[in-house]
Amino acid sequence: MAAKAVIRFFVSLKTSLWLLCLVTVLLLAGAFIMPGEKAFLSVHSMPLLDWMRQQPVKSTWWLWATMGLLLVLAANTLVCSIDSIVKKRKVTQWMLLISPQIVHIGFLFMLIAHLASAAGGFKTFAVAAEGTPLEMPDNSVLQIKQIAMSFDSYGYLYDWAVDVEYRDNGQVLKKDRLLPNKPVFHKGVGVYVKDLRAFPSKMVLLEVSREPGAVWALVGGIFFMTGTIALLVLKMKREETQTQP
Amino acid sequence: MVAAFYALPFYLLGLWKRVFLYVGLILQGAYIISRGLHLGRLPLVGPHDTLIFLSAAMVAFSIPFNRGTKEDPALSRGISFAAMVFTALGILWQPHNAPLPPVLKTLWFELHVVLAFFSYALFGIGAAIGVFSLRRKDVYHEALQYRAILIGYCLFSLSMILGGIWAYLAWGTYWLWTPKELWTSIVWLFYTLYLHARLMQGWSGRPLASLGILGFVVVMFTYLGVSLFMKSSHTF
Repeated sequence: MAAKAVIRFFVSLKTSLWLLCLVTVLLLAGAFIMPGEKAFLSVHSMPLLDWMRQQPVKSTWWLWATMGLLLVLAANTLVCSIDSIVKKRKVTQWMLLISPQIVHIGFLFMLIAHLASAAGGFKTFAVAAEGTPLEMPDNSVLQIKQIAMSFDSYGYLYDWAVDVEYRDNGQVLKKDRLLPNKPVFHKGVGVYVKDLRAFPSKMVLLEVSREPGAVWALVGGIFFMTGTIALLVLKMKREETQTQP
Repeated sequence: MVAAFYALPFYLLGLWKRVFLYVGLILQGAYIISRGLHLGRLPLVGPHDTLIFLSAAMVAFSIPFNRGTKEDPALSRGISFAAMVFTALGILWQPHNAPLPPVLKTLWFELHVVLAFFSYALFGIGAAIGVFSLRRKDVYHEALQYRAILIGYCLFSLSMILGGIWAYLAWGTYWLWTPKELWTSIVWLFYTLYLHARLMQGWSGRPLASLGILGFVVVMFTYLGVSLFMKSSHTF
């Protein structure tokens, strides 16, 4: 009896609507709490779950609650999708049946991505000048070979490039170049230029990070968009035939 | 600036005859193109350019929707009014003519922003149809609102995904905890709610039309309110 009630709860569209409503309200609360709380200045300095554990609950309660509700929403999405496929498996327009489920899969992948990044991300920062060697998490050494910056006549920085070399036991493993919107990757760890300084000497602020959810998020995004576009085309066709004025 | 300014009276006249709305659009389109050519980039940085782009996008996207409501000019009047307000607000701000920082010189940024404003425009049209639908209370206008919002939702989702890819390449993470991103999630969840509510019995008619209108209020706060009133690295 209790099992049936649980299934009825998870299979209901009403549950989805309530959960979406509650998550929206929690994020709304967070949107007003976040700008006023100094604790959020350090939110990007470490993986989210570690950061949340270190902060007072009065600042992060809405994040904990959102996370909890998203888990319930994930279960609701999964159960609804399975139920829909089982109940409507004999329909002729199978694309119309499958498209929303592809959207749901994309959404679930995105949730997994956020969870993976929040739990298993890694991030560290370093200030480096030309010639500075930096030890990487895999014990290889990243050496800054050259920092190039271009300024226009008004003094605006319009381009930059940072040449780097990965070394291991004195041997050069790889040479690469960091550019705007082009980080370098080595063994799953990304190196990003966060800031540059030209005077009194050329320096860069580097971020070395690993985002384990990135691939999941990309896969989720592809599923989500594929399903959404398919659904859009099918719905438009159907609406056109149903709603001629 | 002059072309953008001259679009205003045409949008005003658009309240009377729809053809003036389109003349205003041509003038505004010419202004956007000329600014793009002058700056050598997409003119979509700062409130001036984005408001004018939003107003032009709203008018352009309203053309196929207007075709479905020929007998009643209320929708095109609503769009005229919105275009007039956004253009007037845009003119109040100084254009952003400074060169862009290197991180913004990428196709990811351009696609992210263009799609975001296209979706805002469609959500705006959805809200205008919602007002119209509250008066007329027919299935046809509800379907029209749904169509505008579904296309807007699709573009908005794509904009968020492309923004995530860009953020990952530029800053090492596809998600930054900034007020703008939080509000963007609120917009996305809100319209997800709208699309799912349409599948429920009892939501048809007034509740759905009202949701579509309320959604645009959230969109406007995300676009203008967050940038103006909240401190965020992620502004216009």
